[in-house]
Amino acid sequence: MSNARRLMGLVLAGALLTAACGGDDDSSSDDAGPSGSQESATLHVPDDYPTVQKAVDAAEPGDLVLISPGTYQESVSVKTDNLTIRGLDRNEVILDGGFTMDNGFRVAGADGVAIENMTARNYTKNGFFWTDATGYRGSYLTAYRNGDYGVYAYNSTKGQLENSYASGSPDAGFYIGQCYPCDATINGVISEYNGLGYSGTNSGGGLTIVNSTFRYNRAGIVPNSGSYELCYPGRETTIVGNLVYSNNQADTPAIDVALLAMGNGILPAGGTGNVIERNLVYDHDRTGIGLVPFPEEDANDVPPPPENDTRPCSETVNDAPADPADIPDLVIWEPRGNKVVGNVVEDSRLADLALGSVDDVSQLGNCFSGNTFTTTAPLELEALAPCEGDGSGGDWTAGALDLISLMTAVQPPSGDYKTSPEPPAQESMPDAATAPARPATDVPFQVDLDAIQVPARPS
Amino acid sequence: MIRSLATAVAALCLVAGCGGAPSSGPVGPGPEEAAAAVPRSPTGAGPQGRVPQFVVECRFSHAASDDPIVHPGHTGASHLHTFFGNTTTASGSTADSLARGGTTCDQQLDRAAYWAPALMDHGTMVTPTKAVAYYRPGVGVDPATVEPYPFGLMMLGGNPHAEEPQALDVMAWSCGTGSVRAESPPDCPEGRPLRLAVSFPDCWDGERVDSPDHVAHMARSRDGACSDSHPVPVPQLLLAISYPITGGGHDLAMSSGSVLTAHADFFNAWDPDKLRTEVETCLDRGVICDVASTRS
Repeated sequence: MSNARRLMGLVLAGALLTAACGGDDDSSSDDAGPSGSQESATLHVPDDYPTVQKAVDAAEPGDLVLISPGTYQESVSVKTDNLTIRGLDRNEVILDGGFTMDNGFRVAGADGVAIENMTARNYTKNGFFWTDATGYRGSYLTAYRNGDYGVYAYNSTKGQLENSYASGSPDAGFYIGQCYPCDATINGVISEYNGLGYSGTNSGGGLTIVNSTFRYNRAGIVPNSGSYELCYPGRETTIVGNLVYSNNQADTPAIDVALLAMGNGILPAGGTGNVIERNLVYDHDRTGIGLVPFPEEDANDVPPPPENDTRPCSETVNDAPADPADIPDLVIWEPRGNKVVGNVVEDSRLADLALGSVDDVSQLGNCFSGNTFTTTAPLELEALAPCEGDGSGGDWTAGALDLISLMTAVQPPSGDYKTSPEPPAQESMPDAATAPARPATDVPFQVDLDAIQVPARPS
Repeated sequence: MIRSLATAVAALCLVAGCGGAPSSGPVGPGPEEAAAAVPRSPTGAGPQGRVPQFVVECRFSHAASDDPIVHPGHTGASHLHTFFGNTTTASGSTADSLARGGTTCDQQLDRAAYWAPALMDHGTMVTPTKAVAYYRPGVGVDPATVEPYPFGLMMLGGNPHAEEPQALDVMAWSCGTGSVRAESPPDCPEGRPLRLAVSFPDCWDGERVDSPDHVAHMARSRDGACSDSHPVPVPQLLLAISYPITGGGHDLAMSSGSVLTAHADFFNAWDPDKLRTEVETCLDRGVICDVASTRS
């Protein structure tokens, strides 16, 4: 091209660049962050703001709060959308509640908030907590010695909890509750020395738990139902490719439900339509994979009819509960329509695969196929309830699961969460200092479930 | 903000009759308009997850015949009370002395004093298990308008002199956290012990932390609104006290008289910043910040 044209091009380009970088009045005074957004700023703690809370309060949607190593005795409340809050080092950025503060982080009704690469410990309630959030992400988080849950999402959708660790919570290490569809993924987490490794009441629908390890809890993975919160029953949690072992731990902190569930690997309690595939489950005092009912004594409603299974939470929150006079003293949430396929289950003292209920368990549509196992309760469970074709029509009572003795057994009492084991250092996030802000607007991340194989035993 | 848009849409749709629920925002309930179809009572706790709230659980602290609201400075002058929360509550307590005290509550910055007449069984005090304080907007009150209690506010819930059953919206007995509410204590099955629920007024006159009769500075909202005389909406406190009482064979009374006289008291010594944070973060923005679990 001619020199004149080239010169024109350069001048034009220069003009455009100047305009885009906004040398004038109302543009953001902050740098155009690496995320490409002109308005994304980085707020440094403690260099720019002495506390995490002050930085969070000053931050605007899209900003990155970057926290330097240190111990921060704070309970941080987040009300701004689309923040990324990140520690520079997962093990050395520590939020410490001193057993007097309630939550490490509480993201209350703010959407798209991502928290990554740090530790929260010693809170009376939760390490990391999102409520009423659309879009949430927890990555490279460590939570330990927190009095309710380690990492907790309630009444929230579109979430990702990954590469994180939780221990020493009496309720559960990881918990997602009251959502349908949840559209959330738990991927690559470790949960140990809790009451329950995972719990979720009335949650499910696009809720996937994969590639994670649940061990040394009272019980491993326990999705469940109950009417003390909304969105019941819990349904459609997909549990694939997890390592679930040795959940018989007698000294963990544990709430009542955890005591009841002790000694089981994967134990959906009163759940519907859960899919449990290609997990490795071993060394449990009771069952490896057990589908059981959940008996609720203090019910506020009766289980809705199965036709309601597909109704989203946004609808069912507006349903009036049953007349109190019509609610029985004990409401039974049955295990219905669950699928247990291709798991490897070993070394369960009671039964590798189990199905129990109060009513006629043969009519509840649960199925078991293609599993590797030795024992079942009732006997011949895969023949009785295959996922393809007709059941054998055999005897469901032979070797049936003795629910009464399971539920009435006295378990060792709860340990003190404040003195539960301190975890070893965990793998930190790569490029924490330079990675751009990444608000939780692109979650959950897709998982190729079909590609997941049964994991191998740890060496 | 998506939440306000959803509120506006919901409000308009209630009036104009649009189809379907507001589609944006989280799947949760959000503001009360979206759940207007489901009636609730100030003394009804569950199921939770529909109404914005923050919740504090407080173990039983101590019992004494003291009442710093009704008989300030006169130790032993009152009927026997069971105290929850602040560990120092006594006849001489002031807001400032309470602020220096400890608490049995799971929220360490809630140093308020909560108390109720002792429940007596065959003349012997029943040691309560715990009290759960649910802080929610009054029924139908716009959550965004709720303000924190002033420091030192004293409130009475229920009528200590009642000779007739009080309204179930004011005082109700139940078994566990179940939804059956009764005027007098029902027989409760094992696993669902007796529970007393007392609701407090939710409109403040904006001026006084107390009044000569201890009730005139507070009022209850009606149809979601506070009156001109008590124009400030404050959280509606629901105090639910659990007792280890199940089965029959009990002869129950309150230390204040018959079971009809059940009532409760609240003396605000919350850390003011924390209370403001809870009200602004949770109630004003329609967020469910806590859920009281039946699974202890």
